[in-house]
Amino acid sequence: MGRKLLLEKAHVENIRYFDVYRREGGYRSVEKALKSMAPDAVTEEVKKAGLRGRGGAGFPAGMKWSFLAKPEGVPRHLVVNADESEPGTFKDRYLMEFLPHILIEGMIVASFALGSNNSYIYIRGEYWWIVDILEQAIEEARSNGFLGKNILGTGFDCEIYVHRGAGAYICGEETALIESLEGKRGNPRIKPPFPAIKGVWDRPTVVNNVETICAVVPIINEGGDEYAKIGVGKSTGTKLISACGNINKPGVYEIDMTISVEEFIYSDEYCGGIPNGKRLKACIPGGSSVPILPANLLLKTAKGETRMMNYESLSDGGFATGTMMGSGGFIVLDEDQCVVKNTYTLARFYRHESCGQCSPCREGTGWMEKLLLRLEKGQGKMSDIDLLWDIQRKIEGNTICPLGDAAAWPVAAAIRHFRDEFEWHVLNPDEAVKRNYGLAHYADPLEIAATV
Amino acid sequence: MIQFSDNKLKEVEKIVARYPEGRQKSALIPVLHLAQQEFGGWLDVPVMDYVASILKLSPIEVYEVATFYSMFNLKPVGRYMFEVCQTGPCMVRGADDIVSYIGQKLGIKPGQTTEDGMFTLKAVECLGACGYAPMMQMGKHYKEHLTPQRVDEIIEECRKSAATNN
Repeated sequence: MGRKLLLEKAHVENIRYFDVYRREGGYRSVEKALKSMAPDAVTEEVKKAGLRGRGGAGFPAGMKWSFLAKPEGVPRHLVVNADESEPGTFKDRYLMEFLPHILIEGMIVASFALGSNNSYIYIRGEYWWIVDILEQAIEEARSNGFLGKNILGTGFDCEIYVHRGAGAYICGEETALIESLEGKRGNPRIKPPFPAIKGVWDRPTVVNNVETICAVVPIINEGGDEYAKIGVGKSTGTKLISACGNINKPGVYEIDMTISVEEFIYSDEYCGGIPNGKRLKACIPGGSSVPILPANLLLKTAKGETRMMNYESLSDGGFATGTMMGSGGFIVLDEDQCVVKNTYTLARFYRHESCGQCSPCREGTGWMEKLLLRLEKGQGKMSDIDLLWDIQRKIEGNTICPLGDAAAWPVAAAIRHFRDEFEWHVLNPDEAVKRNYGLAHYADPLEIAATV
Repeated sequence: MIQFSDNKLKEVEKIVARYPEGRQKSALIPVLHLAQQEFGGWLDVPVMDYVASILKLSPIEVYEVATFYSMFNLKPVGRYMFEVCQTGPCMVRGADDIVSYIGQKLGIKPGQTTEDGMFTLKAVECLGACGYAPMMQMGKHYKEHLTPQRVDEIIEECRKSAATNN
């Protein structure tokens, strides 16, 4: 059983409320940081912990904090990115819905480290009911002296506000989020300047994912060095994985990044295997943008090593034979799923969510969607597959923000690993609308599903 | 006459106060949410103009935001809106069947509203509930683990609630 740092108390009854959360040891990190540490010492602990941003990019959080400009007399802001919208990802929602106080606690400590007296939670508009949960938690924290003026008599002032978005995946990109927080369309900005220098209202700003900020709590409680001992290599600490698709136990799991992908899928502690005796066909392990892998490459790397659930192992082999940890949105596809259709829904998603600023993304996502739909409907041509490849290549790297890459990668990986399935759609148009290609050579190489 | 009640105006003031002075434009999205709720579930041009006037913005600043975000309705919608997620992970768990079941049951296609103005059906993109698929958003809340039977119950509940609240 893996170590739990964030979800350890998730099942304590009424943990959503301050009194219970506090009784279970909550807000200790605020007391420790504000009363006995200097702001820079808090940042130092986060650096030592090796905490990597949990939103998808995996950038070291402590380093991001240390880039924050501190010009005299200019307010700075912490903005928490709760715009969780990457298909397959629903972990931040779980934290905010069931453990709102761990986010508030982490935000107070992070605000102290960064010198932010007014911090914001930018939450996606669809998580409407969670706004009430967070605002209640903020009120409770304030009435118990953990927010407002002169917190715990330390002289540090901090307010937290919830800002609700209105439906736009792109606002998860930090500069689009900042634009949106300023009351504008969510068009990403050209960097530099980075938000650490010029962010919201032209002020130095740190944007961090919900889970990243929550992880600050155990880091301060146990110390950065202790935190770094959990996990392996540069994958320190624990990671939340939201598992979905064709598995017996969809849900949010906390892993310590030392377990194998096979164990994660088949163990009863996690996904509990695939329903109805079906076999594993493919998996998108880190949210819809990361490359899809066929079962054989998912469970073992190209070198034949067991693939593990951590940043390094999942990306082993680069995009040729590997994938990415991404946001931890783990989507499992069984033998009955069609890769062309699945890729089509993702291409449609990215076309819908493209902000339209950069022509490669605005036009390219639309063309990819159309071509994939044509292939899926059995009306495609062989040359469409090459055209798709060509379009994705022309989007990747040619846009202001990573949405272009995020749209290109799933298409590229689907063609890279499942080209014969695309060709089958062209060669068997009548069949393609009636049934799916099946397993071919992608099947899970295990004779019997592993039991761990 | 489009005008927030005094209570709602106080709410607007509270929202504006979250942001630095002179940055009241930041309140635009939250205030548009409020306006949509208050004025019939959608944002007609006079409503957007009213929001512009209370936040001291030019109307175009409001239109460009209202047209960008998917949660702002620019046409009238039904009293209950069923927004069914259709992206990959939900599709894998049968979202297409749920969309067609609702459509059949209500006699409408995605994007349409029933003649009595009661229900609007929309097929939308990922709502962050992939593990509880198939699912849909209905107003403030999510309805998850949908089955045809569950859909029937929800429609029935809506009709009952509309009848008692009229």
